[in-house]
Amino acid sequence: MAIIFKNFKLKLASLGPIILLYFLSFSELDTQFSNVFEILSFNLQLIIIYYWMLRDQTILGNGHVFFAGIINDVVMGLPLGISPLTYLTVSFVALYVRNVTVNISLMTDWFTFLIALFFSNLLFLILINNFTDLPLSYSDIFYNSFFTMIFYPGFWLIFNLYKSIMFRGANV
Amino acid sequence: MSSSRDDFSIAIRSALLQKGTRQKFSIFFLICLSILIFFLDSFPNKAMDISRSIINDLIYRISSVATSPMRFVDYSSKRVIYHFEIYDENKVLKEELKKLRSKELRVEYLQAQNKNFKEIIGSEFAYSSNNILGKVLLDKESPYLKSVIINKGSQSGIKKGMPVKDRDFLVGRIVETNFLSSRVLLLNDLNSRIPVTIGKSGVQAILTGKGKSKPELEYLPEAYLPENDLIVFTSGIDGIFKEGVAIGTTVIDENIASVKLYSDPNQLNIINVELKD
Repeated sequence: MAIIFKNFKLKLASLGPIILLYFLSFSELDTQFSNVFEILSFNLQLIIIYYWMLRDQTILGNGHVFFAGIINDVVMGLPLGISPLTYLTVSFVALYVRNVTVNISLMTDWFTFLIALFFSNLLFLILINNFTDLPLSYSDIFYNSFFTMIFYPGFWLIFNLYKSIMFRGANV
Repeated sequence: MSSSRDDFSIAIRSALLQKGTRQKFSIFFLICLSILIFFLDSFPNKAMDISRSIINDLIYRISSVATSPMRFVDYSSKRVIYHFEIYDENKVLKEELKKLRSKELRVEYLQAQNKNFKEIIGSEFAYSSNNILGKVLLDKESPYLKSVIINKGSQSGIKKGMPVKDRDFLVGRIVETNFLSSRVLLLNDLNSRIPVTIGKSGVQAILTGKGKSKPELEYLPEAYLPENDLIVFTSGIDGIFKEGVAIGTTVIDENIASVKLYSDPNQLNIINVELKD
């Protein structure tokens, strides 16, 4: 009975980040707080993808990242394929970093997240500017990326805590 | 040197092509798929338009259902706040009533005035048959786009470009129609450009969305700076919007003329799409 409960708990815990990712893509739960502070907005989806791809690849599949991106494009009114490409860029950087690093620390994660964010935004801007008529506010994108970067350590700690509580004894 | 280059290429190849225990697709495959979808969607073709319309309808409905608990919580909290406001307001009204009772003639006058106001308010909701009411399904705010999704689409006769009003005030226009849903581009979106007339002077300008709450007035006559609180109407020059639809009032801040909209774009619930004849 205890084993069944433990397996159920682990299964549920491993679904948490996927559910959160899909929920953020589907829902109106904005990570934009312009009513509190005009320029405050950040992209929680990128943080989730980067953290879980880097830390535990078994939790978040590439297919889920792709579908979450497609949903995000539909809900946000962007041309289909833009968000999946930016999300997969972040995934790719995370997997590369995972392949070449041994020691894990907040500082290395944070620094490499900056690189992932840079490539992801670069791709986003290239696609929007060259293939669509959508006008963009560069300052809004900069603020969004800036706050995403700033908030990464906070979510790093929260996700670490989540991992340590939910996956305690998983390898025993 | 060559060893470190080999390590780099192995790490890149591994990240692109590796499929872990729960990975059914490699990143390389999904990136190729995303690029294919992006190009199919960027260059208009009928098959993709139909597919996109079906995907949009499906995701909007799921999104609407998925967010309903949050909207319920939001609605409940607003109702509770409203209740307390009513409670406080009730106290004030009771005080006022005491004063009013001592002025019976004044009360009679106010009652007559109140009756007239109620008649006016009642008449505001008498929409003509050329309008269709729509409910806002999604109003996800983005740093880039200011738009809402409504629950009426081409099935109800909605077409691209149709003006959308909240009560009698213009809020935007239809930019995307699906069978059961449509996207409304709000006046404060970066893409929004509306020809307008300012106040009684009849000065023409273009109301341009800036992604903020107040759109700005552009292409004003040289050396003309409007005063505060002038009413801004649609001019109807573009042939899309009827002339004389109220939009908001002018606000001058640091020599920039912007417009405070009568209808708050963040508070839309039921909107009114004006079907063309």
